[in-house]
Amino acid sequence: MTVASYYLGAMLATVKRDAVIFVSYRFRFAGQAVAMLFTLAMFFYISKLVRPDAVGPHSHYYAFAVVGIVIMAVLTSALSTSQVVRMELMQGNFERILISPMGPVGGVVAVAAFPILYSIFFASAMLTLAVGIFGIPVHTLGIPLALVVAALAAVAFACIGFLFVAALLAFKSASGATWVIAGLSLLGGAYFPVRLFPGWIRWTSEVQPFTPSVDLLRHLLVGTKTVQPVWAELIKLGAFTAALIPLSIGLLWLAVGWSRRRGTITEY
Amino acid sequence: MIGRAAAATSDALRNEGARSAAIEPTPTESLVSLEGVWRHWGRGRNRWAVLRDINLQVAAGTAICVSGGNGAGKTTLLRIATGILSPDTGRVSIDGITPDGNWRQYHQRIGYLSAGDRGLYARLSARAHLDYWAKVAFMPRADRRPAAEEALVRFGLSQLANRRADRLSQGQRQRLRLALSFVHRPSVLFLDEPRNSLDSDGLEILMGAVGELFARGGSVIWCSPLGEEQPMMFDRRLRIEDGTLVPA
Repeated sequence: MTVASYYLGAMLATVKRDAVIFVSYRFRFAGQAVAMLFTLAMFFYISKLVRPDAVGPHSHYYAFAVVGIVIMAVLTSALSTSQVVRMELMQGNFERILISPMGPVGGVVAVAAFPILYSIFFASAMLTLAVGIFGIPVHTLGIPLALVVAALAAVAFACIGFLFVAALLAFKSASGATWVIAGLSLLGGAYFPVRLFPGWIRWTSEVQPFTPSVDLLRHLLVGTKTVQPVWAELIKLGAFTAALIPLSIGLLWLAVGWSRRRGTITEY
Repeated sequence: MIGRAAAATSDALRNEGARSAAIEPTPTESLVSLEGVWRHWGRGRNRWAVLRDINLQVAAGTAICVSGGNGAGKTTLLRIATGILSPDTGRVSIDGITPDGNWRQYHQRIGYLSAGDRGLYARLSARAHLDYWAKVAFMPRADRRPAAEEALVRFGLSQLANRRADRLSQGQRQRLRLALSFVHRPSVLFLDEPRNSLDSDGLEILMGAVGELFARGGSVIWCSPLGEEQPMMFDRRLRIEDGTLVPA
């Protein structure tokens, strides 16, 4: 076996571990499914109130909003990695990760994997329900490229989550994740088009990976026009992801090293 | 009292009269090496040295007992030895490998039992814990399942293999934590207060596992609170006093 296969095996083992723990709470998925249905139904009726001149007919807005909701699920999960790591710290399990050959950075990536994979599964299920029950029109031809975009977006969001883990390890606090999720949902156009923003604030939708992700997924899945050409949006998302990977992993390494030197790495 | 093989106790280790004899390198090649380790806690006026210039060489196939009062620095010493914490100054190595030099190889060589009863996933079974750790410890695929099964048997957990950790008694949880420290067959074992919650059977099981570690040339650094009865013969007994290692 190569070294890479050991790392991959350890990460897959961590995903399996978290899946086993998740499934052991038998009603958790059922509860989430019910909440998902209520959310879809609520937006279905809210969409009937939308003025056609803003985003088109109400069915268009509903499809627009559903894509925003599903990608918000992935974003929320990715940015909650610091909470998962805090839980590992509190239970004394992070110490075990620290003494593993996988190492602290590999361990953080591993513990982030299941929640993000599950959120992608959950988002897909939500989209399927929205198609099946509420009849949103999905472009099946766009699904393969949408999966690529979703994967890029998930990696970019995971990297933002790692920045919060770095903050948690270094300063024992990562309380900013909640307002970043709220801010991105607002400024990234999760529930309404960013062109409704006044010009002075519209730049904020250009400097983070959420806007191109949600814009591209809407275009590919429900045919909404993109703000910029598709290729430009793809390059932008790819560039954000490519920049965030070394930045987040580098800062995570620095935070681990700093907290090992300070002696605070196992504190919470 | 369960003694380990007398043959493993070298002549040099019996001579513990002088402090220097207790902390200087043994005549055999060192497996574990701590050189000039200092560690402070606190900041500014509240900064104090918990470990002062620790030098410790542990030869292959030997056992060291480090005792100390509460807050003496035993756990800090083990956390530095395992690479969890960095020393302020000094160097830690196993087989010449440092944690920062090669994290993977360093940590493939060590097993660690932390103090207390944490470090388990409440809803995972004993077997799932061992299977998981065997993978995370980078054991070769062919060795994982046999090693996990062997650890279940060795630590008396076979009947409890499918029981969730939160449904185990404290002593059973400690056995599982010990099994996790041994399952990947480390060459050096760092045990922080391993007797915690163990009954006499549990202690005997632990001694058996330690004996097996010695048989394959491994070493043990065993930390215990001052005054605790020791269940085995150690090659050296040391005590942390004012941040330094002295013969116990």
